Amino acid sequence: MEMLLNIFQDGFFAAIAAIGFASISNPPKSAYLYCAFIAAVGHSMRYILMNNPFFDTHIIVASTIAAFVIGLLAVWVSPKAKCPAETCLFPALLPMIPGMYAYRTVGALILCLNHTAEEAFSHYFYLLNFNGFTCVFIIMGMVIGATIPIFIFKKTSFQATR
Amino acid sequence: MEARPTPSLKEVCIFLTDYASWLLGCGATCIRIEKNVGRMAAAFQVCAEMTVMPTNIQMSVWDMNHQDSYSLVKRKQKTGISFNINTRMSKLSWDVADRKIDFAEAVSRMEEIKKTPPENKWAVLVLASLANMSFCRLFNGDLIAMAVVFVATMAGYRIKQILLEAKVDVRVVFVCSAFVSSVIGASGYLFNLGTTPDIAIGTSVLYLIPGIPYINSVSDMLDGHYICSFSRFIDALILTICLSIGLCGGMFLMGLKWLN
Repeated sequence: MEMLLNIFQDGFFAAIAAIGFASISNPPKSAYLYCAFIAAVGHSMRYILMNNPFFDTHIIVASTIAAFVIGLLAVWVSPKAKCPAETCLFPALLPMIPGMYAYRTVGALILCLNHTAEEAFSHYFYLLNFNGFTCVFIIMGMVIGATIPIFIFKKTSFQATR
Repeated sequence: MEARPTPSLKEVCIFLTDYASWLLGCGATCIRIEKNVGRMAAAFQVCAEMTVMPTNIQMSVWDMNHQDSYSLVKRKQKTGISFNINTRMSKLSWDVADRKIDFAEAVSRMEEIKKTPPENKWAVLVLASLANMSFCRLFNGDLIAMAVVFVATMAGYRIKQILLEAKVDVRVVFVCSAFVSSVIGASGYLFNLGTTPDIAIGTSVLYLIPGIPYINSVSDMLDGHYICSFSRFIDALILTICLSIGLCGGMFLMGLKWLN
């Protein structure tokens, strides 16, 4: 039961985040609701993949799978919303951007530069690489996972505004 | 349809180049620009070949017999990312392709689309602040961290709007906004508020991350437009570096240590 509540909460906040970040890039009005819906499904899907009692999914794999689902949904929804698939897709992806990893990467870089002793430097260098790699690969996985459906269903995604 | 006067190659080329430069400016992917231009060229019964460069569009328009051509190079239109313009431009290209409108009407419609107003800035301000607050929650921040992030985002985003309206260089804008947001975001640490002050300060600048350019960059890469992809990536990277500089400055001023 608590799990279910967490999933809904995750989806809810992802939806708000998607609407807000979408508004920065001036989407057509009709796209807002679809963005929110797709982001909620995608983000809660990643939550389920990462936090369930049956199997553990690494955050990179989970993000890629969730992004792929987001991509499929966006291609499916775009003819209904009468806007290009990217319009629904890209803002819906933004809540999955690994912000804390990026922040920790920058932090570790500064600490690296501040420490000359070998042990301390190595530790922060490890943190820099760990956070940096995770961040970069999450973004790569996310974007590739989400763009593949657009390229597979080229016809649908580019005829959406017809 | 047949009775309509056919536009000259020059007119078509000017129209298509202008169209492509607007699409590039509003943040469309290369594959979309090529497809939209291609289908309109087919409708106008010309061959259009184009190169999408990072800051320019280069276009040659030929007649169907490849006897005569007209070429233009045009700089990317400076308009912020706008999915609204992107959507309406794409719709225009289908209307042309389906022969619903003729050349003259297509030109006047495009002039209309160019005047699309941006989203209401106050609404964007509130929505972006709410979004960053939710973002904080997604990273397991507590309620106090969420409140701190909301205020930090609102202040930083407003400063971004003011400076951009004053035509300050976008990189300077990012440094300033990130600096202000991180100073406010650090209040959790300074006053011992809540249990997750690190998440508050980390999230407080995330609204500045240029997500759409990053995603566009990978999309262009998958499509084989490597130069465009690379330049979009570098653009986004420079902004990210600027925001990191602002963040470091803010944390330094507040005397915070990283990653405790």
